[in-house]
Amino acid sequence: MNRINQKLKENKKLLSIYFTAGYPSLNDTVSIIQNLEKNSVDMIEIGLPFSDPLADGPTIQDSSTQALKNGMTTEVLFNQLKDIRKTVNIPLIIMGYFNPMFQYGVEAFCKKCEEIGIDGLIIPDLPVDVYHEKYQSTFEKYGLSNVFLITPQTSDERIRYIDSVSNGFIYMVSSASTTGAKSGFGDEQTAYFERINSLNLKNPQIVGFGISNNNTFTAATKYAKGAIIGSAFVKHLTAKNAKEIDTFVSSILS
Amino acid sequence: MKDTSNITQQATEQIDSAAIKLKICGMKYQDNIEQVASLQPDYLGFIFYDKTPRNYDAKTITNVPETIKKTGVFVNAEISTIIKTVTDYNLQAVQLHGHESPYYCSILKSTKLFTKNKVEIIKVFSVNESFNFNQLEPYEVVCDYFLFDTKGKLPGGNGYKFDWSLLNNYPSTKPFFLSGGIGLSDVDVINKFKTSEASKYCYAIDINSKFEIEPGLKKVSALKAFKNHLNNKNMNLYNVDEKGYYGEFGGAYIPEMLYPNVEELRQKYLEVMSEPSFKEEFNQLLKDYVGRPSPLYFAKRLSEKYNTKIYLKREDLNHTGAHKINNTIGQILMAKRLGKHRIIAETGAGQHGVATATVCALMGLECIVYMGEIDIARQAPNVARMKMLGATVVPAKSGSRTLKDATNEAIRDWINNPVDTHYIIGSAIGPHPYPDMVTRFQAVISEEIKWQLLEHENKENPDYVVACIGGGSNAAGTYYHYLHDEDVKIIAVEAAGLGVDSGESAATSVLGKEGIIHGCKTLLMQTNDGQITEPYSISAGLDYPGVGPMHAHLAKTGRAEFMSITDDQAMNAGLELCKLEGIIPAIESSHALAIFEQKTFKPDDIVVVSLSGRGDKDLNNYIEYFKI
Repeated sequence: MNRINQKLKENKKLLSIYFTAGYPSLNDTVSIIQNLEKNSVDMIEIGLPFSDPLADGPTIQDSSTQALKNGMTTEVLFNQLKDIRKTVNIPLIIMGYFNPMFQYGVEAFCKKCEEIGIDGLIIPDLPVDVYHEKYQSTFEKYGLSNVFLITPQTSDERIRYIDSVSNGFIYMVSSASTTGAKSGFGDEQTAYFERINSLNLKNPQIVGFGISNNNTFTAATKYAKGAIIGSAFVKHLTAKNAKEIDTFVSSILS
Repeated sequence: MKDTSNITQQATEQIDSAAIKLKICGMKYQDNIEQVASLQPDYLGFIFYDKTPRNYDAKTITNVPETIKKTGVFVNAEISTIIKTVTDYNLQAVQLHGHESPYYCSILKSTKLFTKNKVEIIKVFSVNESFNFNQLEPYEVVCDYFLFDTKGKLPGGNGYKFDWSLLNNYPSTKPFFLSGGIGLSDVDVINKFKTSEASKYCYAIDINSKFEIEPGLKKVSALKAFKNHLNNKNMNLYNVDEKGYYGEFGGAYIPEMLYPNVEELRQKYLEVMSEPSFKEEFNQLLKDYVGRPSPLYFAKRLSEKYNTKIYLKREDLNHTGAHKINNTIGQILMAKRLGKHRIIAETGAGQHGVATATVCALMGLECIVYMGEIDIARQAPNVARMKMLGATVVPAKSGSRTLKDATNEAIRDWINNPVDTHYIIGSAIGPHPYPDMVTRFQAVISEEIKWQLLEHENKENPDYVVACIGGGSNAAGTYYHYLHDEDVKIIAVEAAGLGVDSGESAATSVLGKEGIIHGCKTLLMQTNDGQITEPYSISAGLDYPGVGPMHAHLAKTGRAEFMSITDDQAMNAGLELCKLEGIIPAIESSHALAIFEQKTFKPDDIVVVSLSGRGDKDLNNYIEYFKI
């Protein structure tokens, strides 16, 4: 059982944080991860930047563009993370688009993740059927959980299919949007959260998109195992130049 | 590992044994017989019936390998005639096309010759809506196969297809041959039929007149193409497969947020496009609004200069000045039938944006066009056109602020508006079904070329079809009806910019590697690290880092020859067309015209070039370049 599965067993609501690797400065990656763990964050999504991030709003796009300008590449990220397990114990997930992984070689990428101690991957533009047909055995060989997204428009039937192929958690996108587009939840989200809850899926769900503060974190985790904050944290990194991570995290959790 | 490979091997064997057989019928001329036999069909048919022009009157059949069953076709012949013919010509099968009774068949079957040599008996039935399948039963024990043909006036083949879904009522388990007007363009229909219940006992496909130069003389290249496609779904098929791939390219690599929209389109697009009311409205608008058919013009002076026969397909004469409108008309009708009332689009130079704004005005739908901030600045007239047509033009400020970023922004808009919005993609790119849908809307180009060339040259097929490629929609339309006619050579012209090796180029087939862009797997220009790079061309319409998945497949399989043309070569070719023919072409189309300086054609070659757009929009570029 990898760190994600262990973490999901803990009797608490989980806070997961996304940030773009190599942003604001190329070598901020490791210290941001260490700081997040120190401040009781449960899980981290390390964003591998991509030139054309289709599912992301302006905040994460801009951070990706800057990270690439700073010189971030797949190889650089793997180098930065090579000793990460000497200091960090919480689950680490790499989140990125499929093309950079495809160019690196999917098997080589997975192998490298295992060596470093990465626990899972989130690849928004790798469709579940392609994963299932072509890559699932490779991911499993290297002990990686692959995390799929579902949205309010995803049918129950498809959610059950995704649940059957998943082996960690399901990334529940709160509303039809790109990242950072909306904040706060209305009746529509509540109905959606309840619908998913009633499906009794084998994989726990973690909510992402639209979570930026204590209010939205509390609302999201009322129905789900945890929540992911991305754009709001990237904005904080921009504003505070990667400092004061403790203030940000405590504003969410308290 | 061993177990797995065994399973794979078994599976392959099963597929092989189930592979559909091929019978080529109506052979007549010795040289042609040898050429066709070299393709290794399973059956070759020789007609022994003097009322047909395909009647086989030579004394012997020579040089046909033993692996091919020579089949004699008879119509109400005397049994003694059949026996003699089978003996004289060493036939392995007979095909009975007349009113031969079960009794007749039983006598034939019990003859010493047939028993000893295991000569197969194929009984033909002509099928139409009123065909009674119960009449087959008495024939079951006295025949080896049935053959179903179209019911028509002639006792032999009639050259057109019957409704194969009638075979859903097939009550027998006797394997049958499927016949009647099957041609090269039916490969997809056959492959689809093969997946249906009705095909369960389909043993072979029988082909004849659709592969002829004249009665009895077969077109070897077309037969070869047909045979390759028939049992090889994954290879050599240039059309999209049921999963959305062209060979290894295509698919739908999209975030889950887009899945419902794309899936809805995937499920419905073919059905909607085949509705008679849709076709009627589409064709009507193409005729009355777009001004189709666009002329196929014999460019006399250009032809004289290059000593070959050059025809220009005048897409530049369409309303809005380019081929783009064929697709936007199709997609706006699609959007209406899907109940969408908000339209989004991306545009580079603004041509697709204008074509989209035009059809939105026509239909009274809201229109939002995403355009790179840099492109907005350099394409002011098209921005003004879109605004006059009532569209909102939204600047794409991310990334490199050009076409690829405009496409990203349009996709993001769609993610944020999943219910009421249709995204009109302007090229043969994007997640499945877009490349196929756009190609089918543009296919009107080659559909027209076929009949227009027949009028000019008394033949449907040119020697070459040529088109420029950015994403590749005009090219896809120009090639579509010729993809499987391998005697028609395909030339794809990419923009080399300042030169393929200059670092300022858009020649994707040369510089690109396999990867994922805008929802599909294709060839694209990227760094070693998989970041998509910014292409360059003087022509905004060819300035795209990827190429449609169909074209990636055409490049990889070698079906199309890819050529790269620099800015300078294109500009000179554009000016040359002005001087020689009085036509100012778009710079995109000038790339296609520039191949005549690079490649020599034979004097009697017929070369059809897609003149995809007119040059009005490029006037400033021409002025600046030539210091006019």
